[in-house]
Amino acid sequence: MTEQQNSPEKKASTATEIPQWQLDLDQVGFVRRIFIARKWYGGDWWFVVVSAVLLLFIIIVGIFPQWFAPYDPRAEVGPSLLAPGEPPSAYVLVIRTDSGVVEFKQIANRDNNIGFVIGSPASQAFREVVGALNAESQAAGEGSQYQPRPQRFESIEEGLAALENGEIDGYIASPDELAGVVENFTGVEILGGLRVEADKGFVMGTNQIGQDVLSRTIWGTRIALIVGLSSAIVAIMFGVPLGLISAYIGGTLDRGLTLVMDSLYSFPGLILAISIAAVLGAGIGNVIVAIAVLYIPTYYRIVRGQVLSVKSELYVEAARSLGAKGSTILVHYIFPKVIPSVVIIFSVNVADAILTQAALSFLGLGLPPDTPDWGIDLARGQDYVRRAWWLIAFPGLMVSLVTLSFSMLGESLSEILNPRLSEL
Amino acid sequence: MANEKDVLVQIRNLYVTYGTRLGSVSAVDDVSFDIYRGEILGLVGESGCGKSTLGKALMRMIKSPGEITGGQVIFNGEDIMEYSDKQMRDFRGRRTSMIFQDPMTSLNPVQRVDEHMIEAIEVHEPKTKKANITDRITSLIERLGIQKRRLTDYPHQLSGGMRQRVMVGLGLVLNAHLIIADEATTSLDVIVEANLVDQLREIRDEFGVTILMITHNIALVAEIADRIAVMYAGRFAEIGPINDVFEDPMHPYTQGLLRSVPSIRLDDQEELYKMPGEPPNLTQPPSGCRFHPRCPQAIPICARIQPELLETKQGRLVNCWLFQDQPEEAAHPIMVTA
Amino acid sequence: MSSSLRNFLITRALLTIPMVLILITMVFFIMRILPGDPIRSELGPKATEEQVEIIAERLGLNKPLYQQYYEFLWQMITLDFGNALTMGERPIKDELAEKLPATIELTIPAMLFTAFFGIFAGAYAAKKRKKAQDYGIRLFSIAIYSIPIFVMGLIFQIIFSVRLNILPIAGRLDPLLLVTFESPTNFYIIDSILTQNWAALRSTIAHLILPALTLGLALTGVFIRLTRVNMIEAQESDFITAGRARGIPENKLHYRHALRNTFIPILTLIGLQFAILLAGAVLTETTFSWPGMGRYLVTRIQLRDYNAVQATIGVFALFVAVISVVMDVLYAFIDPRIRY
Repeated sequence: MTEQQNSPEKKASTATEIPQWQLDLDQVGFVRRIFIARKWYGGDWWFVVVSAVLLLFIIIVGIFPQWFAPYDPRAEVGPSLLAPGEPPSAYVLVIRTDSGVVEFKQIANRDNNIGFVIGSPASQAFREVVGALNAESQAAGEGSQYQPRPQRFESIEEGLAALENGEIDGYIASPDELAGVVENFTGVEILGGLRVEADKGFVMGTNQIGQDVLSRTIWGTRIALIVGLSSAIVAIMFGVPLGLISAYIGGTLDRGLTLVMDSLYSFPGLILAISIAAVLGAGIGNVIVAIAVLYIPTYYRIVRGQVLSVKSELYVEAARSLGAKGSTILVHYIFPKVIPSVVIIFSVNVADAILTQAALSFLGLGLPPDTPDWGIDLARGQDYVRRAWWLIAFPGLMVSLVTLSFSMLGESLSEILNPRLSEL
Repeated sequence: MANEKDVLVQIRNLYVTYGTRLGSVSAVDDVSFDIYRGEILGLVGESGCGKSTLGKALMRMIKSPGEITGGQVIFNGEDIMEYSDKQMRDFRGRRTSMIFQDPMTSLNPVQRVDEHMIEAIEVHEPKTKKANITDRITSLIERLGIQKRRLTDYPHQLSGGMRQRVMVGLGLVLNAHLIIADEATTSLDVIVEANLVDQLREIRDEFGVTILMITHNIALVAEIADRIAVMYAGRFAEIGPINDVFEDPMHPYTQGLLRSVPSIRLDDQEELYKMPGEPPNLTQPPSGCRFHPRCPQAIPICARIQPELLETKQGRLVNCWLFQDQPEEAAHPIMVTA
Repeated sequence: MSSSLRNFLITRALLTIPMVLILITMVFFIMRILPGDPIRSELGPKATEEQVEIIAERLGLNKPLYQQYYEFLWQMITLDFGNALTMGERPIKDELAEKLPATIELTIPAMLFTAFFGIFAGAYAAKKRKKAQDYGIRLFSIAIYSIPIFVMGLIFQIIFSVRLNILPIAGRLDPLLLVTFESPTNFYIIDSILTQNWAALRSTIAHLILPALTLGLALTGVFIRLTRVNMIEAQESDFITAGRARGIPENKLHYRHALRNTFIPILTLIGLQFAILLAGAVLTETTFSWPGMGRYLVTRIQLRDYNAVQATIGVFALFVAVISVVMDVLYAFIDPRIRY
């Protein structure tokens, strides 16, 4: 090019230069296009990607909780209220030096007394070791024969004194507690560990009945996803067709339905769900129904509004004037226009449904009491709020995370898909 | 008509680019022209030719993703592109004012008419006394043919024509030198439109303001403007005094445009001219002259090199190879890479 | 002008009647017609026919359905719901008269907090659209929305009551003060001021902080989001562009013109939020042992006190209807386009 004189042209070409990524957009496949589009959508693109990745992970966890959960969520696998990561204390048995006892079995009969500090985890250790002995003897066909009487003491000194005096036959305590104390009592000695295998701790601790919080939290994902997704799908199955038909037919039907749906919509959702769940009684199906009812009006309203605006658009009028049937127009012209908003609402709706389900369980409604469910765990955790933060933190975190992923997806999708808000 | 030498605004090599998802659009592409003090300049063109963008660019009101990518706007000898945000704010309203297409939405629906005016004065002339403000507003509004009691009305209580007059008033109340009317009459019905146009001309005569009338309605421009500027695909095709251009359009686009205006005479059996082709896609504008694919008089050079807007006769500027010397190089065939 | 305003208000009030009717019918429908037998569930599976009949008669469940419906409607109109079936069997009306003020005393500070904080943050996010501040505020709003109210409440309890020990963990008033506390209106703040009981006022406010903060924060997420969307829409409107063309400063355009126009949709929003607020109040009250309507409802459901549950839900429905009318009236006062 030798157009030296024609400076405006050169200037123009620099001024209107198209960024390379925009040119690339037309030449690459769908996947790459999504990737390149992040420059256009900025933060919202990242919101979508992050939430999609989170959701993928959550859904995998929800489908295959057994791959992730180390224990059975319903089994009592350790001492109660063990803090996260804390190994269960290795308890030792203290006996009188002159008693000649060499193992716990010997002092585990009905007439034996075993002491420990009142309210300490030692009681759990005591129960466990007795349970283990009985299981052993049952297996040998001898029945449960071990049932020593527990004696609770205010302090370790009191207990050791009682042991020295012969009031009790053994005393259970942790080595830490005994250090520096046991030397003061001449007539006693430490026999050894109560349990053979040394337990490792629990990542998220245990709850008040010794279930693994991690396993319960992981299994809770399944319930939350089942209830959240099914109730949203049920709501769509009723809400969308009702909205389509109501807006399309119009007239009295439309007015009546709208009045009912608006009333339903204005009523506090959770209270509605509470009353339905209370009347229906416990059961996962009932919870799904109770929650689905809340969201039918949401779909109905949005679909109806969209249909009304699309219906009056010229291309639909044109189709009608060309003699297209009502059902054809509904399916081919109107329904596709409604899909984006339904997708957005679905995502937000699932998030809300999961919150509602957790709330119902928290209030003691809906699910059978032993279900591994976040709401139920949180309700139980509330009783231990002063002692065991982990009973609240982990299930609470999980509910929030799952809800966050769904609503972040919905919110950023709406920012991207909503033509009213996106600039070009 | 004002003295030719008395230039109010000089626009030099102005570029405005929009970044869209489909690529960037050069909505205003190397535009240079002058606006004379006290004239009414009609800016016409098809939808999407960049005339509204140009109007906004004169006030630096291009919103993201659009951007002024080059050029100067010299207003009263000062380049407003150099202005700081604060200077710019002072410039808007006090020196120039803008009237928009939709009078329904260009006034704040929850603010009364007088509140709009008081606010404008308070922002720009904070020292003005309350009583003076009221006097100024009242006399102005009556001058515009709106009753005084209407001042306490909300915008939705006014008719469309009245709202546009309020918008004009909002410009005049600060003694703006330049009023940019962006399709200001398009949404009004014909009678109201005629009234407003008459009024604009009276206002020009009385207040000595300059009016840039952006519209796609050539008939309207014929009625009101002193000069006409024809825009095509982000560039000026032709500028000249209204009568000269209408009598003897030089640019082929102007010719086509004028021939496609319907005439109201009933005995006129002549068919309307239909311009071939469609306006270009500005993400990938045609090479050379942007009009050449549709031009009935195109010559080879048009496809290769862009002409310039040059003065051909007294006061008439045309952007077309038919009226200017073709560069020497044009004689040699040049390969233009796609 | 004033006559048209009056007409608007009358029309609006009349329009509420079908809404209330539908809501009450809905409550009735849920309580009676849905499968699930309240008597059986109360008595357990071993109940004899005779026992069932006694209870049915006491509840009026053996009457024909239309008569039950009529009676229920009459109860809602007269607000006379009969006696509770459990816990002292007091008239439900009296019990609700004690609980409702507690709920209102909780929800109003929460709503105020939400409105101020939510509108400010939403407007700021809209101003900084697509900038870091915007994404930050949006992420905050989604995160706040995603934390269940009771989890947030429990976490606050752990932090402020258990760890820091600066605020009471639950209840409405210190039990020691409650013994001698006179409460004519059941609004503890008003009562303690009236009786000049400053210790009780301090204690009431201390007890109120955590529940109100929890409930308020929980709603803030939605508020921020909707304020932001409406502000962005207002920002794009022509009168903002026109104002900018007149040289009105950006801050003024944003916080005065756009925000003032946004108030109209926001007001509608507050009306809708009240429903969410009441739902949130149920959870907050349960978490903080706050003796309001929500906790009453939950305990009565657990006790299977059929009468009390039905009446409470009915009163919630009335409450919602009243709020929606009040909001519409306010709406008419704010938006000049409706007034004329």
